[in-house]
Amino acid sequence: MMNRDSTLSRRTVLSAFRIMSKKYDAIVVGGGHNGLICAAYLAKAGKKVLVLEMRHVLGGAAVSEELYPGFTFSVFSYVVSLLRPHIIRELNLTRHGLEIIPLECSFLPLPDGDSLCRWADPELTRREIMRFSSRDADMYPEFGLALKKIAYFVKRIVDNPAPDPTSSNPIELLKMLRLAKSFRSVGDDLVYLHTKLLTMSAVDFLDMWFESDVLKAPMSVSGIIGTFLGVRSPGTAYVLLHHYMGEIDGAFRAWGFSKGGTGQVSLAAAAAAREHGAEIRTEAPVVQFLIRRGTCKGVVLDGGEEILAGHVFSSLDPQRTFVGLIENGQLDPDFVSRIKRYKLRGSSGKVNLALDRFPDFSCRPGDGPHVRGDIAIAPSIEYLERAYDEAKYGEFSQRPYLNVVIPSLVDPSLAPPGKHVMSIFVQYAPYYVNGGPSSWPEKREAFGDAVVDTLAEYCPGLKDAVLYRQVLTPWDMEQQIGLGEGNIFQGELSLEQLLFQRPTAGWARYRTPIKHLWLCGSGAHPGGGVMGAPGELAAKTFLGTLGG
Amino acid sequence: MNHREKTDYDVIIIGAGHNGLTAGAVLAKKGRKVLLLEQCSQVGGLAAREEFHSGYTAPGVLHDTSGVRHGLIQALDLRLHGLKVNPDPPSIYAPQRKGKGLLLHHDPERAAAEIGLFSTKDAEGYKEFRAFVNRVRPVVNGVLDNTPPQLFDSGGGVGWQTLRRAWSVRRLGKRDMAELLRIVPMCAADWLNEWFETDLLKALLAGPSVYGTFMGPRSPGSALNLLIWECRKGPLVVGGAGALVDALQRAAKAYGADIRTNAQVDAITTEGGRATGVSINGGELLESKFVIATCDPKQTLLDLLPSGAINETLEHRMGTFRARGTTAKVNVALDKRIQLAGRPGEPVEMVRTGESLDELEQAFDPVKYGRYHERPSLDIYIPAITDSACAPEGHSVLSVLVHFVPYHLKGRWNYRERESLGAAVVATLSAFAPGIEDSIESLEVLTAMELESRYGITEGQIFHGEHALDQLLIRPTPECARYGTPVEGLYMCGSGSHPGGGLTCAPGALGARAVLTNS
Repeated sequence: MMNRDSTLSRRTVLSAFRIMSKKYDAIVVGGGHNGLICAAYLAKAGKKVLVLEMRHVLGGAAVSEELYPGFTFSVFSYVVSLLRPHIIRELNLTRHGLEIIPLECSFLPLPDGDSLCRWADPELTRREIMRFSSRDADMYPEFGLALKKIAYFVKRIVDNPAPDPTSSNPIELLKMLRLAKSFRSVGDDLVYLHTKLLTMSAVDFLDMWFESDVLKAPMSVSGIIGTFLGVRSPGTAYVLLHHYMGEIDGAFRAWGFSKGGTGQVSLAAAAAAREHGAEIRTEAPVVQFLIRRGTCKGVVLDGGEEILAGHVFSSLDPQRTFVGLIENGQLDPDFVSRIKRYKLRGSSGKVNLALDRFPDFSCRPGDGPHVRGDIAIAPSIEYLERAYDEAKYGEFSQRPYLNVVIPSLVDPSLAPPGKHVMSIFVQYAPYYVNGGPSSWPEKREAFGDAVVDTLAEYCPGLKDAVLYRQVLTPWDMEQQIGLGEGNIFQGELSLEQLLFQRPTAGWARYRTPIKHLWLCGSGAHPGGGVMGAPGELAAKTFLGTLGG
Repeated sequence: MNHREKTDYDVIIIGAGHNGLTAGAVLAKKGRKVLLLEQCSQVGGLAAREEFHSGYTAPGVLHDTSGVRHGLIQALDLRLHGLKVNPDPPSIYAPQRKGKGLLLHHDPERAAAEIGLFSTKDAEGYKEFRAFVNRVRPVVNGVLDNTPPQLFDSGGGVGWQTLRRAWSVRRLGKRDMAELLRIVPMCAADWLNEWFETDLLKALLAGPSVYGTFMGPRSPGSALNLLIWECRKGPLVVGGAGALVDALQRAAKAYGADIRTNAQVDAITTEGGRATGVSINGGELLESKFVIATCDPKQTLLDLLPSGAINETLEHRMGTFRARGTTAKVNVALDKRIQLAGRPGEPVEMVRTGESLDELEQAFDPVKYGRYHERPSLDIYIPAITDSACAPEGHSVLSVLVHFVPYHLKGRWNYRERESLGAAVVATLSAFAPGIEDSIESLEVLTAMELESRYGITEGQIFHGEHALDQLLIRPTPECARYGTPVEGLYMCGSGSHPGGGLTCAPGALGARAVLTNS
């Protein structure tokens, strides 16, 4: 007969057994922001979760590190925008330390001493643009409105697992049909616009709206971030939209700094995960997925330790996941060749500077709101296209595109008083540089010099102010944080590897050909950027299947 | 031919180029009273022969007839009107500055044998590539040879044609279907790099993916162009573009169409929102029930129609339809047959220059800045093989399309600049045909500017609008994508309509079909 005492003791025995058995419900490989968000959702649903991170710090590419005493750098990813508001809400990330400070403006210094600043305030922006073109000043808000409409529509695709037109499942096909019909409901104009957006180049698309280079050049750049294409390459208008979909508190196209650096996003996700009972281990590199009879049973760490789990979620890029961590023969060769042709091809670099004083921009000297946003070195479309031309043939751009932020201006916690951290994102720096990727270390300093020299043309006192410089090439990104070929999105955002084809057709819903092995990083839908969406959707897909 | 009353025509067709003649012949054969109006003194447009130097005739500006739709040849009985087609598709030669180059035979086995000299892996790969193209060809041609489907029917449901097309795609099987969908937005370079390792082979195949576009092989969308080209190419017409034009003209006349040359249409007349006819040569009015324009769509909608005939949206869409000419034509008269250093004595008909994808991309780069490369990308047709009438005995002609030469040259096009272009072409030719400069009797250089003024094509765009992915999927705009326009009775079916430019005659045939359906 069951009495209360024996029930309690049974529970005690069972929980003791669970601790001893060391079998997790889920292991998440990779403690980047997607892995941590995935883990948080799983833990919140009551699963026993273990996160394994190879580095000593969490965050992957969304990481803050004190690389120089007193200076905290957002080492890789440096702005937040695409992080989904509902993820922030559902995981209580604000309570766990996430605070986003909106960027105030986009500043474009020009070689002739003039400059353009686009502000959150539309009237201020209008006045700035009008100095170059009154027609464009009128058009600018229209453009924003049209893109917003399209972004709302596209968001519905992005926020859900991608429908698969190659499926034979009638339910899938019905979903496709409904999607097609919702296209129709958006109106012919937007269907046309959407087709154009999917296929045109950023410049050609912007040419439909604007006349001045000074506006088109910095705007076109969001079409090429993290891709190996030029602003005149078809398909870049879509990437422009992808970045346009950034939201903070529901406001489209608003970007911001994470207080404490981008790493705070990851740390907040980690705190949320821990709060729900997840375990996180750092300095625990996974070298293989444990696979028996086509099913993933756990992982093997460097050193041989095996850890078992009901399911394993990989937030690593698809090539590392399938080709790096799975033994030969476990996967169908056709699948492997498809993964091998998945394009990583990093094309960007990063230069992080610790400065001992504020760096004056000669066209608008002094501190001010204009430098508290992002600063673009993109003086003309020709300049941007030539930067790409160089990289196509295996060289880094001698006159690169730069995106600069000085976050210590709005977040003094990042540097000692009066001193600053400066983050410079650079394109282009092709992974496949002449001499091969492993020759990047020899070119690293020359690359860093090209970047600093270019910026110094607009910011003459810069070089004298540098206390410390870190140069990160695609090779370095791969070596340090495991980003395949240094691609910041874990794979190019090109149409043939997006939506139902990310990372490859038939496997775009986070499941993989190995049972119980899931993909949850940027190499899965909807792609990269600090979005958290792949991590969230992978977790929710898994939970949905098992009934939570 | 009886001179008809002005009001007697069912259809007036603006332009008697290959598409206009096709539409005219189709409509006339079906009993419609057709009048074709051609601004030049001869018909044929970009396909017309041109005696560019006394005794030397170049085939048309467009010289590649391998894409002519064979269904159309049957439907119009063009063979009865003198058309002859070669039994086999042409071989294509890719020369090298040092070496034998690659002669890609139309027979995959023979091509593979030669490719095997470069790479045995590619020899096998090439056969698989051809096999893949063969499998998807019916689907691709199904789209190219038919009016674009109405995506949604009037009830908001998905259109029947769309479903049919979708079904034909699904019947390919999951693997080929996935591959087809995957290829559409890719760049030719990435796709070819997946298949092959031999640079020369990849460059040879990539050529047509970028001809007549504002793209290089690394531009997304070029892979679709490549696939389209591979699917639709067949044997050449005997006698080239000129012979095609001859047969079309004979057929059109035989079926009862009237053709007037030296008739420049300066306006399309409308009444109450409906097209009523045209005005030619500064004042002569001609009436008809339908007007079909085969000139480029920018001219049709923005120049020939009275203001206010189309709404602002269409005006803006047509204004931003990209039609930047990037092709120049160079016709060369030689006092002997061309000697290819890599293939002495062999009768080669088609030659494409460029020894790697990078070279092709490098040839493309300068056009973005208003310049052209000193070694431009050449697409060469050597007609004397099949058309002995084009040059005196023992002499020959080269028809050279020079790609990535801007319409807006930095500086300006003038006599000296055209001479420099000619010199660059000759230098490129002499790299694989040494001594050719000494055989040149005459050189005619037509930049996009000359093409514009001579043939009436906006910015000299040989396809009436760039073959870019968005402009192939919806051509030229949503409201005109199925040949009709918002102006009742006005149709467009030149190269600026589906399925695009080149000597296929498909737009003309499909446009005519649209008129028949609606009349």
